[in-house]
Amino acid sequence: MTTIRAFMTDDHRHCDDLFADAEQAAGKGQLDVARAEFGHFRQAVLAHFAAEESTLFPAFEARTGMAMGPTRVMRMEHEQIRALLADAVDALAAADSEEFLGIAETLLIMMQQHNMKEENILYPMCDEHLADVAGEVLARLEVDTAEP
Amino acid sequence: MQALLSFDKAPPFAAPARFFLTAPLFLLAAALVLLASGPELLESRWSPALVAVTHLVTVGFMLMVMCGALIQILPVVAGANLAEPLGTARWLHAGLTGGALALAAALASGEQRFLAGAAGLLGAVVAGFLWAAGRPLFAVASTSPTIRGLKIALAGLAVATAAGCLIAVAVALGWPLPHALPDLVDLHAGWALGAWGGVLLAAMAYVVVPMFQLTPGYPARPGWLFPPLVLGLAVLWAVGAGFQMPFWVRVAQGATALAGIAFAALTLRLQSRRRRARADATLRCWQVALVATLLALLMLLASAVHPALGEHPRWAVLGGVLLIVGGYVSFITGMLYKIVPFLAWLHLQNCGAGVSSASRILADRPMLAQTRVHALAVFLLAAACLWPEWLARPAGFVLASASAWMFANLAGAMRRYRELAAAGGGR
Repeated sequence: MTTIRAFMTDDHRHCDDLFADAEQAAGKGQLDVARAEFGHFRQAVLAHFAAEESTLFPAFEARTGMAMGPTRVMRMEHEQIRALLADAVDALAAADSEEFLGIAETLLIMMQQHNMKEENILYPMCDEHLADVAGEVLARLEVDTAEP
Repeated sequence: MQALLSFDKAPPFAAPARFFLTAPLFLLAAALVLLASGPELLESRWSPALVAVTHLVTVGFMLMVMCGALIQILPVVAGANLAEPLGTARWLHAGLTGGALALAAALASGEQRFLAGAAGLLGAVVAGFLWAAGRPLFAVASTSPTIRGLKIALAGLAVATAAGCLIAVAVALGWPLPHALPDLVDLHAGWALGAWGGVLLAAMAYVVVPMFQLTPGYPARPGWLFPPLVLGLAVLWAVGAGFQMPFWVRVAQGATALAGIAFAALTLRLQSRRRRARADATLRCWQVALVATLLALLMLLASAVHPALGEHPRWAVLGGVLLIVGGYVSFITGMLYKIVPFLAWLHLQNCGAGVSSASRILADRPMLAQTRVHALAVFLLAAACLWPEWLARPAGFVLASASAWMFANLAGAMRRYRELAAAGGGR
């Protein structure tokens, strides 16, 4: 059976793929394509965050009693990433591709260092603490992150 | 475990920033010495001035940034928190700065008592760093090739430093050395640039190349294998030198070169498959670094196969220039250009004084422009090893310009960070 770490890590890579498509379109000056691709990427990231904040983190917090621990920091970073996503959408709406590419660069590093902490530290902790309910948690995560 | 994802434990910006700002000044100092000394500096690797300049770069620039960056990055990549990041950064930065200056001055002046003191100081500082970083790192399980690589790299730093201190103290106090001095110096350099620098670089590359450039990941099995392989070859090198078996020393050197060539070629290949919109300064720095490293390692391989090649006094100087200035300085510059603006942006966010992106703090254009000048400096320096009469001073001038520009770029980012933090935001 797959692990929470493997499933959520795959979803991170899926988001990376969508990010690359959007950034490349903006880099080529195809702003309409970039808007569509970035919308797709943003939707996938927000679905991923929602899955974590409504399913994974509460399960982890309930099991470990760590409400102020790693999940609090991850939620704060989600907020920072949401703000970058909104700024990027604004830059694309204003057809300011230089501003968009600058935000995209920062967004990528922010996202990657966030993912690294989740993949190397938080998800393994989730797999450890939620081993007996992993099937149920994974089924809900699959629904939460599914493309509409 | 829970503390490791806490902002409270994240090192303040001041912890790594001091290392990143000091390092280019050491590179500038090295370049100014070349500019002042001219062609004779490049005539032989054994000239006291060149040994001094080499340590300005390897300790003052390379070790300075590597230690500062590790304080920042160990919690993120390995979940290993230093107990007192800011306190550690303060004494480590002061120790490395003082130690690097003292060592270079002692090596250049030939003041033997001074040399023993400088080496002792640096040895103590590095030992303190190994304790501060090694304790949390070795408490973490090796769940990734990066974590294993970092542990092996620290072991490499321990041996390289011990060997360097032994050589310096023995020379200073007139102790009889167990082996010929050149063999011991080669061993010290091999551990410092291979088992420490090379393994650290690979361990970080496994993370940052896919992350920053959106390339495919490094293949898992060779990724796990590379750090212990390089460590094993460094041990073989040491055993070969210790038991006076030059054949095995050459085997270790040749195999280390091949391992490094494979790593560099693979990294170039991965980067060619990157999915970023633009080639940024970090990518260009790494391309310069990888090509220079490949050339240096081909030279090492060639001299392992045909030792007569290495006997030419310029051979080792050229190899060292390519590996240290062309390779490591370029790799590190590329990393600094990624880390410094982002960290400044992140700390501004966390203190409620955000700007829309890190490029508002340090834009890619001045970084790319500096990278081009640095690449020219590497080319001129390598050419100056062959035609020192013509090119030593121009190379020194261009390297000094590139170093000063790097400092200006990084210091500008820090100034902008302080202004924005003071103004409470720049949106």
